[in-house]
Amino acid sequence: MKTANQPLLSLKGITKRFGALTAVNGVDLDVCPGEIVVIIGPSGSGKSTLLRSVNFLEEIEEGSITFEGNEIGYVKSKHGRRHLDAPAKICELRSEIGMVFQHFNLFPHMTVLGNVMEGPLTVQKKSPEAAREIALDMLAKVGLSDKRDVYPATLSGGQKQRVAIARALAMRPKLMLFDEPTSALDPELIGEVFDTIRSLGKEGMTMIIVTHQMGFAKEMADRVIFMEKGSFVAQGTPEDFFSNQMEHDRIQSFLNRIM
Amino acid sequence: MRLFSGRISKKTILLFSCLFLLLVQACYAADYDQIFSDANDAMGSGDLPAAIAILQKVKPDKGDDSGAFVRSRMQIARLQFALKDMNAASASANEVLALYPDNSEALNFIASVKKEQKPRYVVFLEDCLRFLPQLLKGAVMTITLVVCIIVISPLGGLLIALGRISTFKPVSGLCWFFIWLFRGTPLLLQLFFIYYGLPSLGITFKPFTAAILGLGLNYSAYLGEIIRGGIQSIEHGQMEAAKAIGMSYWQAMRRVIIPQTYKRLMPPIGNEFIALIKDTALVSTIAMVELMRSADQMFNAYFNVTALILAAFIYLLFTTIFTFIFEKIEIRAGIYENR
Repeated sequence: MKTANQPLLSLKGITKRFGALTAVNGVDLDVCPGEIVVIIGPSGSGKSTLLRSVNFLEEIEEGSITFEGNEIGYVKSKHGRRHLDAPAKICELRSEIGMVFQHFNLFPHMTVLGNVMEGPLTVQKKSPEAAREIALDMLAKVGLSDKRDVYPATLSGGQKQRVAIARALAMRPKLMLFDEPTSALDPELIGEVFDTIRSLGKEGMTMIIVTHQMGFAKEMADRVIFMEKGSFVAQGTPEDFFSNQMEHDRIQSFLNRIM
Repeated sequence: MRLFSGRISKKTILLFSCLFLLLVQACYAADYDQIFSDANDAMGSGDLPAAIAILQKVKPDKGDDSGAFVRSRMQIARLQFALKDMNAASASANEVLALYPDNSEALNFIASVKKEQKPRYVVFLEDCLRFLPQLLKGAVMTITLVVCIIVISPLGGLLIALGRISTFKPVSGLCWFFIWLFRGTPLLLQLFFIYYGLPSLGITFKPFTAAILGLGLNYSAYLGEIIRGGIQSIEHGQMEAAKAIGMSYWQAMRRVIIPQTYKRLMPPIGNEFIALIKDTALVSTIAMVELMRSADQMFNAYFNVTALILAAFIYLLFTTIFTFIFEKIEIRAGIYENR
């Protein structure tokens, strides 16, 4: 049984290299249940790679991922070389961790309802009726019940992203990862996506959010992390972070540039 | 002397009159031989009207040599037929019939002149009707082959495409080799090898099996590359999004990636299938009787180009229908992109 203060997710020494480039360099991170962690930092600092590593979309070279107290995702072969767990196991793990992408990646050949139903239907092998029920619930949650029968091509960017969130939620994940969820949106559409994320936070969803929206970080985050060159440079509460108390030149110059 | 001369004169008269008749007959015969020989010379030099004029010197009232007259008039009629003067040709044949109403050569000639005097399109349509049953039999075989390959080759192509993009080297290598082999050699050679070559290794196929095997392997190789291109053209984020909700690679392929390739694949695959309709003509070389072979048989039997024209129309009909069907499928496959 997990205790109240046991982290939901615990990353230890996560290292990911692309050839000579070390994208993520020995990152440690504990995320408690219900916590909202916002990761900021310049482009190429490894934020997205870290997030993708948690969902096994990137295979890490070193480090461990512990989820609900169990180390997951990697096994050692007979020769002592570590590699990704069996595909079936990875799929099972992924279905417990929802992910939302910068470019939505909705399935264009399925209706909005079809997109949201797809996980319960195909992965969880639920009946079409049950999957439909779940999908309708999730669409109601993101406020898009009226769009259920249209194809994604007809939606605005903000609506697409909300459908993508509903699609991830339909799997009943314990953790949600947001990879720059508003970076591809027109400014006037960012609000509706953040409203949706905000309401998830109020329901107690554990979330890791990579974003460039400082206002959102300031308002929503339990903890803000500044990442640069593959490492966490600083972290703290939004109050600490944005009140110029963080004595760090790089953060200051980054914040000045972005805000 | 008188008696002698009188006796002699009786016999002599008889003898001379016989000789005279023979002479007259010989003269006439020699005369006709000369006419026919002159006519032949004129024909040899290509002057048909001159030949006709010479032959017209043979008269029906000269003696009882009806053979020469009939021969001359029928020769004239054929020459006039060759000169496309159908009325004159009929008239010449009728001259013969006026004297000899039962002459079969003249009667046949009149019949063929009548056929020639029909409008060309009537003759064409009559020929079409004559050839159509046989050609349709062949066309049914052509369509049977096409339908079989349309069912087989996308499945084969999909397997090859998935094999090609596999990260498992032996599989992708094998599929690469398959494509290299079947795309790099003529289909005709492949068909020959399967039907005529493999029996020497103890493997014998019926013509139909050999045709399906040859066309199926060849088209699977082509479609394999097309389908691979289609799969790889789907944005990488689609696979990631599918995986992120817990789908396996194969679930993602089946539910997300492959359905999105349909619209993109329709134009090139439609192209391949139209090529296929025409490529089935190649199996006529391995003892298959399909549309091309039927047309060839008709053409050789009657030396009538209508069989070939008709076959061309049937091929065009097939390709037109296919073009139409594929346009419709393409529109339906891409319905989500419009609205």
